[in-house]
Amino acid sequence: MAVRSILRFLLMRLGQTLLTLLGLASLVFLMIKLLPGDEAQMAVGAEASPEQIEAARQRLGLDAPVIVQYLLFLSRLVKGDLGVSTSTFQPVLNDLVAVFPSTLELVSFAMLVNLAVAVPSAIVAANKRGGAFDGSSRFMAVILGGLPVFWLALMLQYLLGTVWRLLPISGHNAYGMAAPVTTGAATLDALLALDWAALGDALRHIALPAVALAALFSTQIFRALRASLLGVLTSDFMMAVRAKGATARRVLLRHAVPNSVTATLALAGTQFGAMVGSSVLIESVFARKGVGAYMFNAVAQKDSFAVLGSVIFIGAVVCIANLIVDLLQLVVDPRVRAAQLGN
Amino acid sequence: MAVTSRPKATRALALSPLESFVLVLLLLLGAMVAVGPALAPDTVYTSDILNALQPPSAEHWLGTDDQGRDVFWRVVVGARATLLSALLVVTLYSMIGVAVATIAAAGPRWLDETLMRITDLGMALPGMIVALGLAAALGASLQSAIIAMSLTGWPITARILRAVIRQTSEAQFVSGAQVLGVSKWRLMTRHVLPNSLDVLIVKWAGDVSTTVLVLAGLSFIGVGAQPPSAEWGAMIAAGRSYVATAWWTVVAPGVAVAVTSIAFGLLGDIIQVRNDPSLREV
Repeated sequence: MAVRSILRFLLMRLGQTLLTLLGLASLVFLMIKLLPGDEAQMAVGAEASPEQIEAARQRLGLDAPVIVQYLLFLSRLVKGDLGVSTSTFQPVLNDLVAVFPSTLELVSFAMLVNLAVAVPSAIVAANKRGGAFDGSSRFMAVILGGLPVFWLALMLQYLLGTVWRLLPISGHNAYGMAAPVTTGAATLDALLALDWAALGDALRHIALPAVALAALFSTQIFRALRASLLGVLTSDFMMAVRAKGATARRVLLRHAVPNSVTATLALAGTQFGAMVGSSVLIESVFARKGVGAYMFNAVAQKDSFAVLGSVIFIGAVVCIANLIVDLLQLVVDPRVRAAQLGN
Repeated sequence: MAVTSRPKATRALALSPLESFVLVLLLLLGAMVAVGPALAPDTVYTSDILNALQPPSAEHWLGTDDQGRDVFWRVVVGARATLLSALLVVTLYSMIGVAVATIAAAGPRWLDETLMRITDLGMALPGMIVALGLAAALGASLQSAIIAMSLTGWPITARILRAVIRQTSEAQFVSGAQVLGVSKWRLMTRHVLPNSLDVLIVKWAGDVSTTVLVLAGLSFIGVGAQPPSAEWGAMIAAGRSYVATAWWTVVAPGVAVAVTSIAFGLLGDIIQVRNDPSLREV
């Protein structure tokens, strides 16, 4: 395919992402304007002196017309200034960057659990449509899809942690088990330090939150992949595959699954961003550090700039994740390549 | 062969076991919303600290919470807050979605383009996180959560409806009306739109199912319904610290949310299959 069409697609997709980020920033600016009370006061906290409030008013340009304030806001964002938290007294971006590896760790493990459960289940279910496994797994998907994420987290924590004492209920490591912090993700830190005891401990700590976060998303993958497989299995070219004498196993694994798997991966990619968003419902339940827990605490502390800074941060992560997924799809799926690049 | 098959009308009305089950659940929820608050004792909002965190008993079927209030009756009363709010949210954002899709379809091309780009933007952002920020900015309350979710929920509806309107517009009866000199606006609102809304009828129940979950989530985070409200998400948040000693304070409202969400999810599936029998599973 032509280099030009690839370049044009990349530029267009990048432009789309930037436009989305601009839209997100404008939304958050509107939210700041919606906040009741004095914005300068809110930026420095309830205990600030009149001088500090006045300094914040100058810094934020609050005496200027709204359009100037908007442009100032955008220029601060470009420089990575999301304001200062009134509960940690640190720049919001620094706070978020510090805990992001931990969220990334949780989301990665949740994605692993998600795919490890949903993909094999969907393949087995689609293979014997209407069979016992198909029926029971579809029933499970309905139930799991209706459970509130945070409630499932509390229940897993209570049953598996408190009552049966199988797994630790909170935090990243047991006391004294932590490997030296290098990345901020407990499992990766343990791996880098080649500390196997710490790794096992960190894995045990991440098990429950990862399962709780994965549950809802795995029902989506299960449904989508199962439906897609059934669609492929009843399509015309499958008749040809069967006619040439391929075994049922080969029909399924060699022909049906590769046909459905790229769309499933694309769905998993968009789920990645949604999982980062859902971390706000999970991390605080398990007393884990992360952007979700940070946002949760910011709401409780009425730390408005930390809340809205988290909205921008998570929104940006989601946009960038979606961009990466689109580009990966282009590499992996020839059908998408043909549709997007026009050849 | 027509002789042996049952008359069509009876077959359409006959309910499968699953459909009957969902119907019973929905009737139960409806009853809780309609008469729950009237039946409940007036102590569902008053503290009785001496009776706090009592386990389930004949007197308190689902025990009492940290304030000594009866959990069973709070769950019954809470149906109104959770379910009516969710229905309201879905209604409001569906209306916004319909408005956006109709204006986009009937208006000039640049307006269509602009509205659809805004819709794309809304779909590219994490809905719950934006709603969370908006609700926090508006001041944490159930009203804020409802407004925030209504303002952030519409893009998917608008996107789907716009596509359906495009299809309907190509139907012959539309070009017929056009030839008769019907104005563009009237054509859209009187002919195209009414014939495109089927898609929303199929969609709304599933939407309620997800909205119930997100709404409970927002209350759990603390930007939705506030204590002492009996809203289910807020009840879970309040019971959270006592789960190890008084599991019923968290289990009861959680099961209520789950059952509601599952019932509407199944209702959505049923409507979809009845609307398009080719989707029927063996």
